[in-house]
Amino acid sequence: MGKTIEIKGYVREDGSVGIRNHVAIIPLDDLSNTAVMGVAKLVRGTVPLPHHYGRLQFGKDLDLMFHILGGSGANANVAGAIVIGIEENWANKVADLIAKTGKPVEVYPIEGYGDLRTIERASRKAKEMVQEASEKQRTTVDLSSIVMSIKCGESDTTSGLASNPATGIAVDKVIDNGGTVMFGETSELTGAEDIVAEKIRDEELRKKFMKIYDEYITEVESKGADLLGSQPTQGNIKGGLSTIEEKALGNIQKLGRREVNCVLDYLDELPSNRHGTLCFVNTSSAAAEAVTLFASKGSVIHLFTTGQGNIVGHPLIPVVKITANPKTAKLMSEHIDVDLSELLEMRISLEEAGERVFQYSLKTINGRLTASEVLQHDEFVPIKLYISA
Amino acid sequence: MGKGLIHSKDDDVCVVVADVKQGEEVVCSSIEDPRYTVVIKAINDIPLGHKIALRKIGEGNDVKKYGRSIGVATKEISLGEHVHVHNIKSKRWGKR
Repeated sequence: MGKTIEIKGYVREDGSVGIRNHVAIIPLDDLSNTAVMGVAKLVRGTVPLPHHYGRLQFGKDLDLMFHILGGSGANANVAGAIVIGIEENWANKVADLIAKTGKPVEVYPIEGYGDLRTIERASRKAKEMVQEASEKQRTTVDLSSIVMSIKCGESDTTSGLASNPATGIAVDKVIDNGGTVMFGETSELTGAEDIVAEKIRDEELRKKFMKIYDEYITEVESKGADLLGSQPTQGNIKGGLSTIEEKALGNIQKLGRREVNCVLDYLDELPSNRHGTLCFVNTSSAAAEAVTLFASKGSVIHLFTTGQGNIVGHPLIPVVKITANPKTAKLMSEHIDVDLSELLEMRISLEEAGERVFQYSLKTINGRLTASEVLQHDEFVPIKLYISA
Repeated sequence: MGKGLIHSKDDDVCVVVADVKQGEEVVCSSIEDPRYTVVIKAINDIPLGHKIALRKIGEGNDVKKYGRSIGVATKEISLGEHVHVHNIKSKRWGKR
């Protein structure tokens, strides 16, 4: 292999590398969104993560909520974090997960203070954190330190023909340079799950993957339903995808040609000893839920291919939007970062298209803002597994 | 003349890469080997990204794309016909 590729990133206290330098304001629960938004309004440079849950969850669903909130604060794109909760015991659990990385984190409970005093207390600290963060410099590190994720949305047949295989080439390059790439969309692998299983390194991981896949489908079927009518989505059907099998065979084109050497269930963390890691993560196929889970497992940049024009973003990580559908590239140009419609028209080769995705990813890593960042697509959507208590 | 792409040589369908009108001829090229082309006449309007049948497919038969079954024909499909949810269905879901 040739020379290693260098990028410029923020090396955090625990050695992880971020490509953005945010101060996150994280509500433990739905009730704390107002205070969180109050801080974000007062203090420039803070990023609020409002969401709808965090009360009376239990078991694995509660563990997943802590995993997502803590993981988001621990993400290497975050320089420091503030957690605001209606009470402090659960807020401290989230803060403890963030503190493990060595970055600054503070908790502010609302009970006993009210929203206004909480906003004041948290804003004073947030102001300091933003000023501290502003002194952090990008330094030169290897591409191997980057954790990336991939997912497609509002896919159509152009995804499987062009944008997904081109992204697969970029994925191969990241892995060949020692980087980490995560993919998921468990239900959306239906019809191609055997191909994914064949790409998995060994029998133990393959069994783990098939168990996760089977449990997901069994859960759906236990509701007396299947996913026909939801998968493919109405947008997929408009774009020419007829069945889940066709959608799945297009979906997996973006995995590239390297072996899958890591399989993670909801609560599993990325292995710490990584070099060239391609990781399946159990996720829903809903765009914002999947990107949110990837970010909480450490992804600092997401490559998102679309056919009909999904516009998803995330508050903490840049989402690079890639399409090969010429109509979408033209009609929704403000959302598209990489236009590969020339590949669909066979005016460029698949290799050239893959290189275009890869080079754009490097630019984004080095600081260029994506369309989703500039257009404020800040979707933060924790996956909820159960009803509330 | 319309244009289309074929994933795998033994596929039953070709994806059109621009809107095609009824009666228009479509040149379908293989993405594996661009020298391999098939010309078919569309018997319906076919929108960008939708599939056109490269051969007659009997009711109940598999429909192949990517060299694999993407479902079965729910009625007989003619050469040059639009192939979509009105004439194929998943083998995995929709049994209930």
